Amino acid sequence: MELIRTVGLRKSFGPVQALRGVDAVIGKGEVVAVIGPSGSGKSTFLRCLNLLEVPTGGSIAFDGEIVRADPRGAHAGGALADGPAADAWRRRMGMVFQHFNLFPHMTVLGNLCLAPVKLGRLTPEAARDQAMRLLARVGLEDKAASYPAQLSGGQKQRIAIVRALAMGPEVMLFDEPTSALDPEMVGEVLDVMRDLAAEGMTMVIVTHEMRFARQAASRVLFMDQGLVAEEGSPEELFGAPRGARTREFLAKVL
Amino acid sequence: MDFSFMAKYWLFYLVGAKNTLLLAFLAVLAGSLLGFLVALARLSRAPAARLAATAYVEVLRGTPLLVQLFIVYYGLQAVGVRFPDFPLADRLLGIGFSDFMAGALTLALNSAAYVAEIFRAGIQAVDRGQSEASRSLGLGRGMTMRYVVFPQALRNILPALGNEFVVVIKESSIVSTIGVAELMYKADTVRGNTFRPFEPLLVAAACYFLMTFPLSKLLARIERRMRSGTH
Ligand SMILES: Nc1ncnc2c1ncn2[C@@H]1O[C@H](COP(=O)(O)OP(=O)(O)O)[C@@H](O)[C@H]1O
Ligand SMILES: [Mg+2]
Repeated sequence: MELIRTVGLRKSFGPVQALRGVDAVIGKGEVVAVIGPSGSGKSTFLRCLNLLEVPTGGSIAFDGEIVRADPRGAHAGGALADGPAADAWRRRMGMVFQHFNLFPHMTVLGNLCLAPVKLGRLTPEAARDQAMRLLARVGLEDKAASYPAQLSGGQKQRIAIVRALAMGPEVMLFDEPTSALDPEMVGEVLDVMRDLAAEGMTMVIVTHEMRFARQAASRVLFMDQGLVAEEGSPEELFGAPRGARTREFLAKVL
Repeated sequence: MDFSFMAKYWLFYLVGAKNTLLLAFLAVLAGSLLGFLVALARLSRAPAARLAATAYVEVLRGTPLLVQLFIVYYGLQAVGVRFPDFPLADRLLGIGFSDFMAGALTLALNSAAYVAEIFRAGIQAVDRGQSEASRSLGLGRGMTMRYVVFPQALRNILPALGNEFVVVIKESSIVSTIGVAELMYKADTVRGNTFRPFEPLLVAAACYFLMTFPLSKLLARIERRMRSGTH
């Protein structure tokens, strides 16, 4: 079943066309890996999906609801979609950033409880219980009272993942979740993501971890110059890439 | 040099310093509240609010404080606005309440322009990833500001507000020109009474320095502590 569909999705930053008409479908329970060279529009694509960027062309459908482009978005210089509808939309999508973006002035528990409590999802007690369960899931119960500055990169990213999960999202978006990590910490984060995939979470993952994409993804999108240049199962895309650009890219990163 | 007049006039300086501190405190307090609102207007999405706030900041920073003071003081009189005179307040302050308020109001209006910039810079210095993370959780603009951005901005804002207090202590000397009996006015009175042109002003300078220097040092310490904190 289809969860997200973009039609002719475009995004310009002034003269720069970051997305030039992306048509993509994300099915429920799918794990879609997005790969491609730097600057090809992968981050912009993810950020458009949860309206951190306002598309300048095309449309996004999410579970039957449709957001159409606002051509003025190009001039809005880094402004995201605002208003209750956009907030509600984002509530249903979790996002994990390359640089974690944990709230440094709050404890780990505070990070996990903020949104569920302030948005009236859970009572403070229930949010706390949920947070402890989520922390147990990623093996970090003992860090509940720590501040982000006291954690390693891998721990921070695991916390960032469960912070997003605390809102009960229907899809999780990951933007290079392991790129800022020391190599020895990449595994612990990917393990959490594998578990999540195994539980049936719908995931869109921008990544440079080709081995992970190959093993964990159900489908791979190769982006190039603001377009999805090629897509297919991991076997197809990694085993028998059709496009010259795809082959060129894979030759470089594999 | 002869400081023997101090035996007779030391209380003048004490009362003057008290009134100076009171003026500066009221001005920065009111200026912070107003400045906060101006900063929010400057960061808002409404173009009219942004324009008005920017104009306010630029005009108040781009014109002399003395001119602003006279405009408020004589302007209020001209349009017939007068702060009420409270005999009790007059007695406590040792000065006319109405003039005192005109002075405090001017300093507050002026300080608000600088404070607005302090707030704006503090808020904008918070990494954009912070508000994006908050928004991605579904928190709205207001909640994101209140729970995520502003608490972090305070680390930049509080030390700067302290410095603003130091600045206003010094600048408040200007309200002596409308007869508000703060430190500078008192020193000038002593000068007139003693016919000594120089020494009473030296004492005033020393008083100002005794107020601002320890405060600056204290602020620098607090700032260092805040920067090295774990969160
Ligand atoms: N906020 C922005 N302002 C201006 N240009 C941007 C902005 N974000 C991205 N871009 C540009 O859009 C293009 C795509 O960027 P991005 O989506 O970050 O690529 P990727 O994630 O694949 O490396 C790049 O040319 C980048 O410079
Ligand atoms: Mg990117």
